[in-house]
Amino acid sequence: MGLSVPAVAVLLVALLCLDPHGRVGSAPICAHGPSGCHVPSLADLFDRVIQHSARMHSLSNDLHSEFEQYFLPSKNHIGKIYRKCHTSNILTPNGKENAQKLAREELTEVILKLLMAWRDPLFQLHQSMAHQQDFNSFSSNKALEMGDMAHELRKGVEKVAEKMRVLGMLGNSVTGLSAAEAMLPLSDSGEAMSDYELLYCFRRDSNKVQNYLKILKCRIVPEHDC
Amino acid sequence: MLRIQLCITGINYILTYIKTLLQYPPGKPRLTSCRSPEKETFTCWWEPGGDGGLPTTYALYYHLENSETVYECPDYRTAGESSCFFNKNDTSLWVNYNITVVATNALGKNISDPVEVDVVYIVQPNTPENVTAVVVHDEQGPFVRVSWEKPRTADTRSGWITLLYQLRVKQEKDKEWEVYDAGMQKYYNVFSLHPDKEYMVQVRCKPDHGFWSEWTQTTYVKIPDYIPRERSLWIMITIFSVFIVLILTWTLNVKRNSVKLCLLPPVPGPKIKGFEKQLLKSGKSEEVFNTLVIQGFPPTTDYDELLVEYLEVYDNEEQELVLDGKDLSEDCMKSKSPSDSDSGRGSCDSRTLLLEKCMEGREGSGSGSDQHQYSQHGETSWASTESSESQGPAPGSPESADGRGKTWPVVFSSPQPQTHHHYQVGAAKPAYHSVPEILNHSSPHTTPSNYHQLHHQDIPQQEGRFSKPACRHSQSYNQFNLDGVGTPAPGVPPSPSLEYVEVQRVNPENMLLLRPLSDPNREPEGLDCAGEDYSKVKEVTNNILLLQRDTSHQCVDYYSQYLDNQADQCTTQQPPHPCKPAVHQSNSRMPHEGMRVMGNGYVDSTVLMPSY
Repeated sequence: MGLSVPAVAVLLVALLCLDPHGRVGSAPICAHGPSGCHVPSLADLFDRVIQHSARMHSLSNDLHSEFEQYFLPSKNHIGKIYRKCHTSNILTPNGKENAQKLAREELTEVILKLLMAWRDPLFQLHQSMAHQQDFNSFSSNKALEMGDMAHELRKGVEKVAEKMRVLGMLGNSVTGLSAAEAMLPLSDSGEAMSDYELLYCFRRDSNKVQNYLKILKCRIVPEHDC
Repeated sequence: MLRIQLCITGINYILTYIKTLLQYPPGKPRLTSCRSPEKETFTCWWEPGGDGGLPTTYALYYHLENSETVYECPDYRTAGESSCFFNKNDTSLWVNYNITVVATNALGKNISDPVEVDVVYIVQPNTPENVTAVVVHDEQGPFVRVSWEKPRTADTRSGWITLLYQLRVKQEKDKEWEVYDAGMQKYYNVFSLHPDKEYMVQVRCKPDHGFWSEWTQTTYVKIPDYIPRERSLWIMITIFSVFIVLILTWTLNVKRNSVKLCLLPPVPGPKIKGFEKQLLKSGKSEEVFNTLVIQGFPPTTDYDELLVEYLEVYDNEEQELVLDGKDLSEDCMKSKSPSDSDSGRGSCDSRTLLLEKCMEGREGSGSGSDQHQYSQHGETSWASTESSESQGPAPGSPESADGRGKTWPVVFSSPQPQTHHHYQVGAAKPAYHSVPEILNHSSPHTTPSNYHQLHHQDIPQQEGRFSKPACRHSQSYNQFNLDGVGTPAPGVPPSPSLEYVEVQRVNPENMLLLRPLSDPNREPEGLDCAGEDYSKVKEVTNNILLLQRDTSHQCVDYYSQYLDNQADQCTTQQPPHPCKPAVHQSNSRMPHEGMRVMGNGYVDSTVLMPSY
């Protein structure tokens, strides 16, 4: 007999444990409800989302200051001609009162709009930064990460909205973004914005997102952090 | 009067003119900073550039990005001099403000450089409020709990602004502050503060994206005095060391004996090598003393080869000493008579030997040479040669000095550091002095026997005597002069078969020249030389005993010399070996003459006995 003991053991195990049907199924997550696994609460979801947005904003901040330091000689804000950000069309509250006046659904929608509006531009930004020799790989990686973060954040906020809707906090007025909403970052003149302008605009918008999320959180799940 | 007035007017005009010369349009104002304390309002400050000697007015104008509408500062007063305060209504976030300041005076105006401001990024909150530092007593020691409140203006409750706090602590004398980050919480516990010291505490805050606030006013806190850990540590150390000391003391006490042994090793008592107390106690004295016996002493092996077993002296006629049984027995009997000698008669009693010989064949008279061998203890063997008949020249005598003409043995190769001298040779054994006894006894018989007797009467009983030529120089050296053997024959009963010869000398050919003791030719000259029937040993070299023959007068001289030598040697000898040339006067019958040479040249065997 050429078979050794381990081989025999393996065979036995295989015979006993293999599924005769030969099909692999997966058990749904938390199929048994709250007792089965840990379902994150809304507060936890909000915390995660807020942390995510904070990280995204810090990334954009770093990239912008890096850009400003190396590529724009004058630190002074004089002479900078800024084109309108493509997201200026989106009405966003510009103050605390305005933001507090907005309903949760609207606020959530604004957040989602903003995040959606930046999906493609961020991809473009990464592409152009990667192709340019001026940027080091670290910066282009940051841009890539930033784009991914924005994507993840949007997903997260959607989950939060879903959760809120489930919990009955949100009405049904929140509608999904249609494809028409996703607009390209075109300025009035139709030219594509430069990288610096993109970075400048994104830095602001990420700050908006973070702020709106915080307001939303403290309005919905007020805790000691608020 | 008029002139004065004219002067005054003129001066005024001149001054005014000068003034106008010195007047300029206002200098350029400059915006120094814009700050927002709560991200809802903000204030901008500027500094004037110079009024140019004229009253100037300053105005702040701004416009929002992507808008051309210029607005003027709504509030110049709230924030103080050269400031512009933007209230909530006028503040828009995430919008760039383009702000300029215009200074205007009579001569002109001046515009400052524009500043782009986004309110979100110029947030600098107010300082935290109500900073309190409280000492909390804990098991591990007291610590300080610093707590504060958020600045009143910051709205963190709605989540509009998030503040991060920071505090710093130091003693008054320290140079550097210790900075702690408290995050978003409004309290902090400070540890590791020294007791009985006063500390200063300050707190500040910052929004997640913005500027740090100013430090609060110093709050003082005093740490109370308490038993420091160091002291408790000392207590522990003390207890531990006491414990260790106790253990050491107890251990030393237990091991007291071994410690004593280690520190004060005992002085070893006297010990006899090979001597065991235990054997003594057990009562087996034989074993005890057996251990004391030195094997190999006295040395026997060396002498085996040195022993002259016997010398065979042959005459033409075979003559053998015939021991007269009767006389022999007499002699033997007499020899048995105990003498008063107590001078160490050894176990080897040559008398017994003699007796043996006595008992043995009694054959011819006088002529046989019987060599007695006193080989016990390796002593010299007296060669009692056969008293051969007078052969005249006895040509055969040299040849007859037959055979085993071995050398005179060194009687005693004593371990003493003495040269082979007469002493050694004289270190005879008990057998020696027993011989004279025999001879002493037989002295009255002197002549009648064929014994070559050793005249001992003139020679005091000493140990270690050798036969000496009786200072007769007239003898022919090369021959056995055995003439005298036969002469006493008529008067001599033929019975004694034992004859002793006197060794006259040893010629270089290793031949002993013997002379019968009963030789009437012998001149009684030796009296001066104290009846030297014993040959004086000159020296022993190469196991050859050299005997000396001296004349009578020379004898004395020699003896005196010898004595001197001996004395010298005695003096040179080491104290452990007391030189005792004295001779045992063990026999009362010792002749007086012998006293003269008492001890001269002869060494008490006790001297030579190695002292064990």
